[in-house]
Amino acid sequence: MSDFYEVTKIAETDEYATYDFFFGPNHPGMHGNFGYVCDVVGSTITRVRVNAGQLHRGFEKLMEQNLWFQNISLIPRICVPDPDPNEVAYCTAVERLMGIEIPVRAKFLRSLTLEMSRMTSLLMGMGALGAMMGLYGVMYRMMNERDRVLDFFEWLTGARIYHIYNLPGGVRRDLPEGFAAKLESLLDDMEYNLREWDSLLFENPVVHRRLKGIGKISADEAVTYGLVGPNLRATGFTADVRKDDPYAAYPFLDFQIITTEGGDALARAVQVRKEYEAAIQLIRKILEAMPGGEFKVYLGNPLKFTVPAGDTYARVESSKGEYGYYVVSNGGLKPYRISVRGPSLPAGLSLCHKHLPGMRIDDVAIWMASFSVCPPDFDR
Amino acid sequence: MARKLRRLLAGSTVNERYGNRLEVITDGPHAVSALVILKSSGFEHLSNITCVDWIDEHRMDVTYNLWSYTHRLHAVVKAQAHRDALEVPTTGEIWPQAQVYEREIHEMFGVEFTGNPDLSPLFLHNWRDMPPLRKDFDTEEYSRRAYGVVDGVEEAGV
Amino acid sequence: MLKVSREEILDGKFERVLNFFRSRSLWMLYYCTGCGAVELPPTMTSRFDIERFGIGPMATPRQADILLVTGYVSVKTLKRIVRSYEQMPEPKWVVGFGSCPVNGGIYWKSYATINQLDRYIPVDLSLSGCMPRPQAVIDGFVNLMEMIRKGEAVGYKKYRLNYEWYKQNQAEVLERTEPVLRPGIASVGKVQETKKKISVMEGVK
Repeated sequence: MSDFYEVTKIAETDEYATYDFFFGPNHPGMHGNFGYVCDVVGSTITRVRVNAGQLHRGFEKLMEQNLWFQNISLIPRICVPDPDPNEVAYCTAVERLMGIEIPVRAKFLRSLTLEMSRMTSLLMGMGALGAMMGLYGVMYRMMNERDRVLDFFEWLTGARIYHIYNLPGGVRRDLPEGFAAKLESLLDDMEYNLREWDSLLFENPVVHRRLKGIGKISADEAVTYGLVGPNLRATGFTADVRKDDPYAAYPFLDFQIITTEGGDALARAVQVRKEYEAAIQLIRKILEAMPGGEFKVYLGNPLKFTVPAGDTYARVESSKGEYGYYVVSNGGLKPYRISVRGPSLPAGLSLCHKHLPGMRIDDVAIWMASFSVCPPDFDR
Repeated sequence: MARKLRRLLAGSTVNERYGNRLEVITDGPHAVSALVILKSSGFEHLSNITCVDWIDEHRMDVTYNLWSYTHRLHAVVKAQAHRDALEVPTTGEIWPQAQVYEREIHEMFGVEFTGNPDLSPLFLHNWRDMPPLRKDFDTEEYSRRAYGVVDGVEEAGV
Repeated sequence: MLKVSREEILDGKFERVLNFFRSRSLWMLYYCTGCGAVELPPTMTSRFDIERFGIGPMATPRQADILLVTGYVSVKTLKRIVRSYEQMPEPKWVVGFGSCPVNGGIYWKSYATINQLDRYIPVDLSLSGCMPRPQAVIDGFVNLMEMIRKGEAVGYKKYRLNYEWYKQNQAEVLERTEPVLRPGIASVGKVQETKKKISVMEGVK
């Protein structure tokens, strides 16, 4: 700490000691297309400005130009690693405005795809955390594992990444023959591999030393700043949208909310690992308890589909936190206003002004990976 | 809960909605005091700040979505502002993330937030037209004129 | 519209040997510009390995051969892509990934994404799809290697010959000074100025 003081004393007298450092868009340590412009003295950051907007597509304006059913192909592209919570949130909001209930089998199928999508996103998050520290072997193995889950998505829905599977009124198709048995054997493989990743990543003393103390935050501060999801649960605060504001099949399943104590990057990494394990067990329970019946409610001609006037806010728990869709309708064929709340906005755009000054340049990538900052969901 | 809030927020209307939802309708200058009262009654989590442009009724609603972890209730606060006098006081002191949301709404809708230290453009680059998310901005026409439209495969620019 | 002729481009025999070696060791600039970037890690890692073709990721544009524009390009990204492209030494190639660089894709109505990348940067190869599968990406790269070996991928020479045309298109998007729709419509800053002027005048009165 004394070095920091002396360096800034120099910076007070010498105006050329501070330089602009673009931790910028074209950087292998940056998730997606986003930049921080930092004022750096030596290798310590003193001030941060945000350079967002490279991924701005104007989604909210685009969604007002399409019919209600046409928006379903646009919606998954808001969040790139974890597209299913978007679809479920949109469909939940529309169904709530219309006042209809979907069949129970459709609810369970929705929960199944949500949990599988959570697994792929957590795998990518853990891989990214390892890659930021230089452990590229972890990234390679985890992406391989993620590809095997994407094969199952392709079998079920027809596409690897943007599966346009949820409609207002249910899901698009039913489970194929033999799906449940093969998925169970994949889950066994994944639980076996988890032990290998423990020794590679989570019980690695280098990783412990590197992650300890970065981005420490307390529970009250996290709530004031608006952090959600694993970031909030890693400070010891018990909050999960699946329990607080249930949607899809979660009222019928019993599972626990997982928290970790600590609040720094190491606690968040351990939290991610625990959630990954819990997702595997939850999929097993869903497959056991899957009821029979219809999987869709037919809602009439999609080209003449109108929604009663009103507004609602639907929230869904994705792997990064709370995804919210505020849908306003005035009774017409097209939505009047849809506003999307991405879970990475507080951490990426607001908390950076508090945490990054005083940190070294090498730790910025790890800070971003531990908070799961993903730029497409706040740039929209 | 709704009755308690009706007592506290004298100048605004409080409606109850289905399930666990509340709605509060107020207007621009009273929004901050309503939010402070709500926060002290247990609505600690600010989910979203957005804006809805009701062009036929000549007003804009700045909408705050709040969630209470203790009571498990959701509240929607709508601060109505007239379309020609779009000024709302800032809520950056109550929740720090509100400053970023207000910066975005200022850029996209043109609403002035008095007291916000930094309202520079966040997403758009060198933008000269009117705020893009208003209802009288035609995005298809803009895309056609600014970037051109590719008609067929034969005419690919060579 | 673009001045390019076959005889100018196909070089002599020594160039053919160089092209054979260039096609076998392409380094790709790892710049994830859009939502298509999520299919890049599966392509590069152990299941659909492209490193066996000699293609590997590279962090800086000064040492890269391919600029991979993955997905849609917003106006801010266009500025950075042009700078990275001009920082790359020749010979260099651009691959448009996905259907958004071709004709705007699913975001063609949007005010923030450009519609045709070929007007601002010369694109050598386009892969369509939303997202293209890793197998399609590898197929595209094998085609690009074949084109380089034959000497047909000459986007960089087009850029040099038609520099003013490209620069004019870029300046039209990046350095705009007038509004696009209905010139004369007031922007937000101007409304504030007129309000202040009105209040000052009233105060004087």
